[in-house]
This record gives sequence, C-alpha cells and structure tokens, in this order.
Amino acid sequence: MMNQKDAAAYVLEQLQKAGADDAAVLVTTGKIDEMNIDGGEFSLMRSGFKSGLSLKAIKEQKTGNIHINSCEKETIDAAVADCMAAVLAAQPDEAESIAPKAENMSFTAGVLTPDRDLLFDRLREYMDTLHTEYPKINMEQLIAKYDHDDILLMNTNGVEMRYQNGAYVVSTMFSAHEGEKAGSFNGTYHLTEQLDRPLMELDMMRRLLRDAEGDLTAAPVPEKFEGTLLVSPAFMGEFLGTALGCYAGDYALISDTSIWKDKLGQKVASEGITLETRPLDERIVCGERFDINGFKSENGVILRDGVLESFCLSEYAARKTGRTRAANQSGAYFLRPGEKSLEELIAGIENGILINRFSGGQPGASGDFNGVAKNSFLIKDGRLAGAVTETMISGNFAALLQNLRGISRETACDGSTVLPWAAFDGVTVK
Amino acid sequence: MLKDYLSPFAAGLAGHAELRAQQNTSRAVAMLNGDLISNARAQQGGVSARVYRNGVYGFASAVEYDEESVRRVLKAAEENALFLDSRVKKNAPALPVLPGGRKAVDREYTDIPQKDYIEFVRAMDDYLKRKYPALQSRQVVLRHDCMEKLLTVSDGTDSHSIRPRTHLIVRLTAEADDGMPVEYFNVIGGGEGILTDYFTDPAMYYAKLDEQVEQLMRKREGVFTNAGLKDVVLAPDLAGILAHEAVGHTVEADLVLGGSVAAHSLGKRVASDLVTLVDFAHTLPDGSRAPLPVYVDDEGTPACDEVLIRDGILVGYMNSRETALRFGMEPHGNARGYAYSDEPLIRMRNTAILPGRDKLEDMIAAIDDGYYFTRTNNGQADTTGEFMFGIMMGYEVKNGKLGRAIRDTTISGVAFQMLQTVDMLSDDMAWTCSGTCGKKQPMPVGMGGPAVKCKVNVAGK
Repeated sequence: MMNQKDAAAYVLEQLQKAGADDAAVLVTTGKIDEMNIDGGEFSLMRSGFKSGLSLKAIKEQKTGNIHINSCEKETIDAAVADCMAAVLAAQPDEAESIAPKAENMSFTAGVLTPDRDLLFDRLREYMDTLHTEYPKINMEQLIAKYDHDDILLMNTNGVEMRYQNGAYVVSTMFSAHEGEKAGSFNGTYHLTEQLDRPLMELDMMRRLLRDAEGDLTAAPVPEKFEGTLLVSPAFMGEFLGTALGCYAGDYALISDTSIWKDKLGQKVASEGITLETRPLDERIVCGERFDINGFKSENGVILRDGVLESFCLSEYAARKTGRTRAANQSGAYFLRPGEKSLEELIAGIENGILINRFSGGQPGASGDFNGVAKNSFLIKDGRLAGAVTETMISGNFAALLQNLRGISRETACDGSTVLPWAAFDGVTVK
Repeated sequence: MLKDYLSPFAAGLAGHAELRAQQNTSRAVAMLNGDLISNARAQQGGVSARVYRNGVYGFASAVEYDEESVRRVLKAAEENALFLDSRVKKNAPALPVLPGGRKAVDREYTDIPQKDYIEFVRAMDDYLKRKYPALQSRQVVLRHDCMEKLLTVSDGTDSHSIRPRTHLIVRLTAEADDGMPVEYFNVIGGGEGILTDYFTDPAMYYAKLDEQVEQLMRKREGVFTNAGLKDVVLAPDLAGILAHEAVGHTVEADLVLGGSVAAHSLGKRVASDLVTLVDFAHTLPDGSRAPLPVYVDDEGTPACDEVLIRDGILVGYMNSRETALRFGMEPHGNARGYAYSDEPLIRMRNTAILPGRDKLEDMIAAIDDGYYFTRTNNGQADTTGEFMFGIMMGYEVKNGKLGRAIRDTTISGVAFQMLQTVDMLSDDMAWTCSGTCGKKQPMPVGMGGPAVKCKVNVAGK
C-alpha cells in the first residue's frame, strides 16, 4: 500500500496520463477509538483505521468523481479508469474547475495522541454523576470517541494542502422516566480537544438533562396561538442551517428557487442579526482549514445587521450562478449575542415556546416549515409555564428572521458553533 | 465477488465472535436544470471482527482485506473487549450457542457503466425540458447502492449476500402565483436490483413524469391545511413510514432497554384489532421476495419474520442475540451493520402493516371533513411513540369527495394512541425500499402497508 503523498501523486499522474486536463485528489487517513454506552451500560469498544481517496478529473470541461477507501495501486488504477469513464460519459459544464495554484499549506489542530484511559474514566465519572444528580434520566445511548484525520489535498495546478487534526467527540441520547411515564428523548453533541473537565460540565449538558426531566410533566398547549419562538442553542444550529439551505445554499441558487436570489446587499433579516461562519475561531475544535476543492478557508459573514452579505456557495455553484464563493464551506455558525440575559428575554415574551428540539418535515424552497416542538416549554406572561407535548409549530424561516424580538447575551459552544438564544415573533403554535 | 479469507479462522474463534468482510458500492448521477451536478461512484470495503466477552463487545476494522488483516482485526477486537471487560466487569452470561450452517450468495451482481446512468437521467431531463418548459426547476437523480457481505461466525450461520438497489428520483419546482416556489419530489421507479432491472427504456417512465407534473400543478394551486385533529386516509406510502418510524423503532429491543414506550406495553393493546404489523425477513405471505430480503443477519442468526403487533396487541420486539437473552426471547435476525467498519445494530428489514378488507374509495367516502395524504418526504419518531411525518402531497376530503390539493404540511400523533383510531384498512398494499434508516449508522430498509383511515394531528397556518 502506498503512503498518503505517494498515493496522491500517483493518482494525479495517472489521471493526466489517461487524458485529464485537470485533476484533484483528496487522501484521508485516520483512526477512531470509540466507546459506547447503551441503556445506561458500557456495551462496546470499537477501533478502526480510516482511509479514503477521492478523485476528480476534468477533460474538456466534463467531470467525474470517484471515491474509494484503499491506497493499493491495483485499486487506484481501477478507480482512475472508472473516473475517466465517468468523465467521458458526462457533458461539458463551464462551471467545472479545480482550485488555482496557491501557497502550499500544512495545518495541525486538536489533540493528536488520545488518552483512552482518561476517556473511559471521564465516561464513568459522567455516568456516576448522572445517576446521582439526575436519577430520572435514562442514558439511551452515549457514544464517546477519539477521531483523528490526516487529510492531504493535491491537484494538477500544484495545490498541496495538508491538515492533521484530532478531537474527542461526545454524543448523548437520553430521556427521563418515572414509573411508566417517559419524556421525549433529547441529546447533545460536543467536540472537545481536552478532557480536563468532567463531561457533565460541557455547555448545555446540565440544562438539557434538567429540561428532559421537566418533560415528564409535559402537557399539550391549551389553545392555538400566534406568538414567539425562543430558539435555544440546542436547536439554533439546525434552525440556521435549514434556513440557509432554503435561501443561500448551492441547490437554492443553482435551481433559481431562492427567494433571496436578488437580495445580496439588501436587508433580509432584522437588524439585530449578524451571522458568521468562523471555522478559524479558537473556540471551534478542528475547524475547516480548506474546503474539499482546495480553497483556503477564511472566516466569513453571511448576514451583517440583517443585510445579506454573502451566499453559502461552493466554487462550482459560484461559477455556475455568477456569484462569489463563500469564505468557507463549514457550518461553524456564530450568531452575534445580544444585550439581554436569557431571563430578561423570557420576561419580555407574552405568549411563546422555548424550543430545544424540532421534529419536522424538510421545508421546501419557500422556507415554510411545520413540525413538532420537542423538549420544549410554554412561555406565558414572561415566565416558563411548563413543558409541552404533542405541540405543532409552523411558520416561515424568512419571515421569522425578519421578526427578531431579541437575542440573549449568553451563548453556548459545542465545539462546532457558538450560539445564543434568540426569540422570533410570528410562529403559530397548536 | 469477495474472496474468502475468513473461513480458515472459524475454528479458532473463541466464545461468540464474528468476522465480516464487506464491500459497499454506490453511484449517484444527478442532473439539475440540465446540468450534471453529480457524476460520482464510491466504493468502500474492508474487514471487521467483533468479539463478545462477559457482556461487552470489542470491535475492530481494517481497510485491507487479506489473511494478515483478518488476524490483526481479530486480535484488536479481542483487546478492545478485554479493555472494556477489565474495567466494567459486567460478568454477563455467555450468549446461547446457535447451530451452524451456511447461506450461499443468492444473486449475481453486474456493475453497470456510469454512462448508462447518465444517458437515462439525460433522457428523463430532456423529456421534462421539452414538454414542460415552464417548470421553475427540475432535478433528476439515479441512485444506486450495493452491499456485499461475507460472514463467518463462531456459532450460527455463515453467509454471503449481495443486495443492490437502484431508484430514480425526480424533484420538480413550479412558481406559485404569489411568487413562492412549490416543490414536489417523488421516487418514480426502482427497487432491489441493478440499473438494467428497471431502467432500460426511458419512455416507460414518461407517464409517471406527466403524472408528477400534473400533481405539482395541482399543488401549486393548493391550499394550506387547517390545524387540528382530523379524520384522514394515509396512502400506503405513509403507512410504510408509520410502521417503520412510529412503531418499528419503539420495539427495537435496544431502544426498549433505553426506555421506549414499548417497555411497558408488551402484551397490551396498542392498536385497533384491525392492525397487525410484521417485520418480514425475506419472503412475503404470498410467497414473493421481500423488497430487501435478509436471510442471515450479521451475528449469524438465520432470519425469520418478527410479528410485532397482532390484532392490535403488542406481541414482540426485534432483537440482537444479546437483547434476546435479556428479554428471554428468540433472536430472529435483526442485527446488521452498514459498513465493514460498523458493528451490527438492531435494524428493521421489511416492516409493514398488513392489509385489511376495505376499498380506498370507501375509505375516502367515509370522511366528512378531512384529508387524503398521498406522499411523505420524511418522518421522525420519539421513543415515546410521538411521531411526525412531512406531507408533500395530499388532498382535502369534503363530504366523502376529494377536493383541492394541499401545500406542504406535517402530521403528528402518538403511535399507540393513533393506531387505536384505525377503523379501516385497504385490501391492497404497496412496498418501497428506497428509504435509508438512520440510527447511529444508515441502513437500507423496506417498508409497506395498505391505505389507513385514522385520526392524526394536522399542522396548519
């Protein structure tokens, strides 16, 4: 088996020999060590080595992509042949390209040597604390792993970028139980470079466990109302990502269905909304350093004071639509915090829902959404008024973004995003 | 086809252990408004070992697949099991030993060239572009995946299987009078098999494209649903996802141990007596092949059907060998891993509500004020049984007659309450295997059912 650099160079050479005008290759190696807890008990220790090799070739503006997971010469030769067969069958597209020559770069981030014993000890400590302090919580599943990647990207323009990174990933899924009563499940997802503090102290962990216990007394909302949606950091990333997918992503712009398509430089959201993607921020664990096309990542602004400053486009979509490529392709969202505390924000809401999780259909291009508010709480006359169940919410992402009521000054960081609570008016609750 | 480097290790496997070599292949060809936005093929393979030790598992995998790598992953899996066992000390009993056997591969696989996928997609797109120039956007996708697995186990049944599937998906958008985009996508063909099993003549699918455009145009003029608890008829497309999402996951034994609603419902009424729900392994009651047949699971358990609800009573869970031991049940072949590097989890296979005796037209006629929902775009469920499905296509029903089409909406309910409102089931049923279930790992699954008349919560503006 070839080493990473030799495999990448060999791929490019073979693709060019086979007739490619341009070619790019991404070679990934890595390792994973994972421990699982199921139904509250340790169940599995899993380890494995990762390997991936993605080939892209362009000939006469026709493109093919192949992904394999072996660096054996025989397998690479077959993949090169498959890739060129795909190219020849394709049709020309002027938007296809590879990244231009840039300075070679090498990045390192996170922890490169895992401590498996400490990870186990942190898990046991977490479960002990859970049993003592949250006795009603059943840990349906907890997955903790060390994930290491070594990525090398090269292309025939001379681009060469390498990124070695490693981090601990902790995800949970839990629910509260009391006799035969059970609450809705919820979960957490964190990336961390350090195991220097108990896992129980990760942002939002205690709050969501406490909220899950509160779910045991959940009741349907008494009556339909139009009010305020207070989005917690636990749901904010999905909320923003789905909205951007509707209005600012590749599909929305290439298909010409985005209602923001002519709004660049214009106000599309309330003034209080400044939304950035910041993969290089020190709070982001092993954030993106370059995208899969070989462009160096930079922090970027999508919405500044409510004005649409950029779309979230890949290089292909940018060329296809005559727009500008996004500064990065990450979902490292930073929503600028506000002045009020969460408590003050809640105090200002007459009728609303604090939402931690949403179970809903994929919204269409219009951004109309409806679905079930999970692990959520009714807000009545400025106070939390109990958990809700079987409660549907509906609205429109674009409209909500234009109806910001306020953003909290507190934020939560899960290693991938830094997000506050934000309240939007104009949601229907039933 | 995968070479067998596993069998020579069988004699040396101690306790319960599994060796699995696997290769997953996929193709994705997608055209958006005439541009080929995806022209990709992927292939991932390797070998893994899993070892059971006193109540915990050790698992290890490697990309290389030869005699040496089998030896290496087996050793690593044993070390991982020891790492956990030495710290956890569960001292759980050994898994019951299953009798040996071997299931040979039951189908051949031909890797169809990429150009054939592209040509078919292009023909579909050309037809839409030519006949419906006013569409705001059109996307045509051909998706293919195939799993080949070779399994050797310490006890139970060794097996070799190949499971390909291919589907054609079309997503169309039209602009409504208010300027808002209205979408409708549909899986318009395919199933278990390769491209040439389904997609040789584009003209065979033109009528389905016409039908999809016609429905999109009705949806474009559609109305928003009124919120509330409504009498509805769910078309078979929704019955399948109801069986899978709302009920199936809650009766997966690992989720039962996690505290799902089914933990307290075994032997109790959870549905009207019209409802029988089965997770079929490989053969349907009429003797035909299930959409995605499983003959042996990845723990070496021979697969057979699992009746979950019989005449409205919850009677079973889906198990792995370990959970079957805990619940005092028999494992019926539900443990599967998605990739070579994935451990087996409890997964559904072909899950369906069985048909009843009613006619669809009678079911619609029995509704005074409600809806007939025909297509879903996704579904999610809670371990409490609370579910939601996105509805992408449907119609009002007024005084027993179909009315205006509706815009996108969502329905929700609590499965074991909602199923008790089922008062009619159609006498036919439909299956699909285009779905991929998500539960730590993805997994291709089949699902099906008849049309179901019941009450659900409908979202609305």
